[in-house]
Amino acid sequence: MNHQSWIDKGIQKGLEDLQVYASRDKSLKLSMYQGRIDQYVQSDVEKVTLRGIYKDKITSVNFENTTETSIDEMLDRLIQNASALTAVEPAMIYAGSESYPEVNTRLFDFTQVPAEKKIKLVTDLEAKILNQKFVKQVQTTIYQETANTTTIVNSKGLNLTRSSSFAYAYAVGVFEKDEDIKTAYEIELVKSFDAFNVDEMAQKTLEKGWAKLGGTSVASKAYPVVFSNEMFGNLLAAFTSLFSGESAYRNLTPLKDKVNQSIAIEGFDLIDDPLHKDAYFQVPFDDEGVAAFEMPLIEKGVFKGFMHDLKTAAIFNEKPNGHSFSGRISPSNLYVRPSKTSFEELISPIKEGIYITELAGIHSGVKAVSGEFSLQAGGFKIVNGEVGTPVKMIVLSGNFFTLLNTIEGLGSDLKFGLNGIGSPSVYVASLAIGGE
Amino acid sequence: MIDKKVLNTLLDEGLETGADFCEIFIENTLQNVVRVTGQEVTQTDTNNVYGAGVRIIQNTDEVYGFTNQVNEPSLRKLIHDLRSSFSGPALKATPLGEAKPLRNQIKRPMREVTTKEKADKLLPLAKIIGDFDQKIIQSIAQLIDWEQNILVVNSKGVYQNDERHYARVVLMAVAKDENSMQQAYEGPGRSTGFEIFDEIDLIPLAKETAQSAITLLTADDIESQVMPVVLHNGFGGVIFHEACGHPLEATAIAKGLSPFVGKIGEKIGSDVVTAYDDGDVPGAWGRLNFDDEGKQTQKNLLIENGILKGYLVDYRNGKKMGAESTGSSRRQSYKFSPTSRMNTTYIAAGKDKYEDIIKDTKYGLFAKKMGGGSVQPATGEFNFAVQEGYMIENGKLTRPVRGATLIGHGSDVLFKIDRVADNLDLGQGMCGSISGSIPTDVGQPTIRVTSMTVGGSGVKK
Repeated sequence: MNHQSWIDKGIQKGLEDLQVYASRDKSLKLSMYQGRIDQYVQSDVEKVTLRGIYKDKITSVNFENTTETSIDEMLDRLIQNASALTAVEPAMIYAGSESYPEVNTRLFDFTQVPAEKKIKLVTDLEAKILNQKFVKQVQTTIYQETANTTTIVNSKGLNLTRSSSFAYAYAVGVFEKDEDIKTAYEIELVKSFDAFNVDEMAQKTLEKGWAKLGGTSVASKAYPVVFSNEMFGNLLAAFTSLFSGESAYRNLTPLKDKVNQSIAIEGFDLIDDPLHKDAYFQVPFDDEGVAAFEMPLIEKGVFKGFMHDLKTAAIFNEKPNGHSFSGRISPSNLYVRPSKTSFEELISPIKEGIYITELAGIHSGVKAVSGEFSLQAGGFKIVNGEVGTPVKMIVLSGNFFTLLNTIEGLGSDLKFGLNGIGSPSVYVASLAIGGE
Repeated sequence: MIDKKVLNTLLDEGLETGADFCEIFIENTLQNVVRVTGQEVTQTDTNNVYGAGVRIIQNTDEVYGFTNQVNEPSLRKLIHDLRSSFSGPALKATPLGEAKPLRNQIKRPMREVTTKEKADKLLPLAKIIGDFDQKIIQSIAQLIDWEQNILVVNSKGVYQNDERHYARVVLMAVAKDENSMQQAYEGPGRSTGFEIFDEIDLIPLAKETAQSAITLLTADDIESQVMPVVLHNGFGGVIFHEACGHPLEATAIAKGLSPFVGKIGEKIGSDVVTAYDDGDVPGAWGRLNFDDEGKQTQKNLLIENGILKGYLVDYRNGKKMGAESTGSSRRQSYKFSPTSRMNTTYIAAGKDKYEDIIKDTKYGLFAKKMGGGSVQPATGEFNFAVQEGYMIENGKLTRPVRGATLIGHGSDVLFKIDRVADNLDLGQGMCGSISGSIPTDVGQPTIRVTSMTVGGSGVKK
């Protein structure tokens, strides 16, 4: 498709500047159930975002109908939508950063792997979990591969492309013991097909499921709490909007006037590193074409500043820091810096506590603006410094800002999730647990 | 659009290698978002979803593919790719029938309304919120509307279009005092056009939203405990949606992964519980003329006086279960294969009065406004958040409480419902599951659950 001709057309219609963001996803998904591929999904979809400035106002249209008549209609929409904006705010299309970081561009082509190998992967994974102790069934076993190419072209002369290619697989095991039913899965994301380790994936799934069986509730009161690395990452993900320049500008974060103030314990560093070697994706630039670089959000407990897109950077009179993704401000690889403390050492001082390995309902139980959270949780008791019996059906409640100031210790076990958020295990002095 | 004859030929080609069902779903959706923040129009976005999904089934094995290149050669290639998964004798598709008429009553479709007109309706609402109290530091009024035009054809002769109009007004207030920042929101939605601004009395709702944020500032964090909970009407129905609605979907039932498997005709709740899922409530947010397999939507009885009467079934899971479709097959877009989902799901009105339920409760939580929730159908464990709550002490509402999350188990919570009022109302939400995010209504009259685990970060008063 000729993106330049769309730009020319937009300029002819009276737009001052225009950017074409085109993202093409090709994917394949296999789903196995009881030894059969019960669903196979293939797709090829291109999405386009036109972002344009009309009479000093900027807005976007997103579309999938890329026929010429549709382009015309979308450009007209863009002009109508921009005309309705009344907020007086910086409107910018970016000419480009001075340089861009190098990332690995030699991507593995999953489509070259024969279908039989992919089917064998899910067949083996399901089989290795089935027929094991306490396994009632495997609810589903999934293999998915996705290749993406994103191009940004604009009237300021920018022309950038970034690509990614990955696959993941998992099986959802259903475990039952004495009428107690639990599910468990372990997602493995890889950059090349040979990196899948079916034995390890099956073993981890089984261990997770077995560990959960026979859980009980606990008495309602406050306990010392240790979050697993994955669960602290999931909780942190729900609060990233607090660190957004847009939230600061719109009065939607209590951090608004807290730059250079202490908001966490001294040993707490929160860093966004688009190129972190352990993260699943390395992102050389954001959706506005701004080069990505490492940026601390919290350093030694002190809040260092907001993530910005072009607009909010201009509003706060700062340099853009490359955080515009999918029309929002968000981090690329945000992580809590780990310590050197092993998990065993981390929990060793806890006499009676709770180790959290499951959180549910994060989309509803978190209030980002106030920092409050109240979530269905599960995990294990911690008794005399060691992980004890499983705990289920409890509610974990607290406030994110209080939590940051009551961290007792961080583990060394940094792990990134598929959401780009990384964390080690985190030990918090006291949180409310609702149970019996 | 692709010619009907061509579609018939493509369906035939889908069946040439042994499959017994082929379906083509074509979609064109236009969504608009207009947002007013304070007294400025700050966001005006348009999103278009456009493409086709092809589904081919042999027995219950399914292949699905989708593309945004909606033309004959591209669909043919997709069908030929997909059908290669199957082998067997060729079948012929039933010739496509005629589309049944739609029963929409949209007065002014959003496509005829300019962005500015929409903004002009939102500005006064944001002003009402902003002017409500000095402690309100941010007010947002937003309109999200979309029109989804679909055509679904299949090898059983179904040829059906549907035109779905959605409009939702989201109101949000942020309040701040020296101790905290609190937010409150309302998001009423309908299957309607620009007349949503006449159909819903938004001014009192804007005031309520602002009041709710103010109330939360002085509310105590609730302390964790097990206690009776009175769930108010409307969005309170999220409890039934999570605890029972999802586990009654054929998606869970067909694999035997639900507390309600094999329990038709059995008692699964107390006598006061009767519940429906209705795909055809006029003007409702969760309504469709026809489901995403082209079947006319209907009212489905799920539970009658505590006895399980039915599941929500789509074509493919119906084949696995030996059950008929209940017109419940839905998907977010052509990017998803459809499956059984809810439309407008509610606990039917009882005979109690709301005031009496409160009066007869010695101690407990009154959950006036609910947030969202989630469930793991295989285990039946569910949770949902309370947005605005009050303690009930000696039959009276006393202090406001915040930060409550309620958890429970689908298999026993219905038995714990002991009071059902007569004030049935619906609330609107977006429901996420394997076939994507879709508009659904939840609903109920005020009900009482005798005992639930309530979590919060408060300390004993």
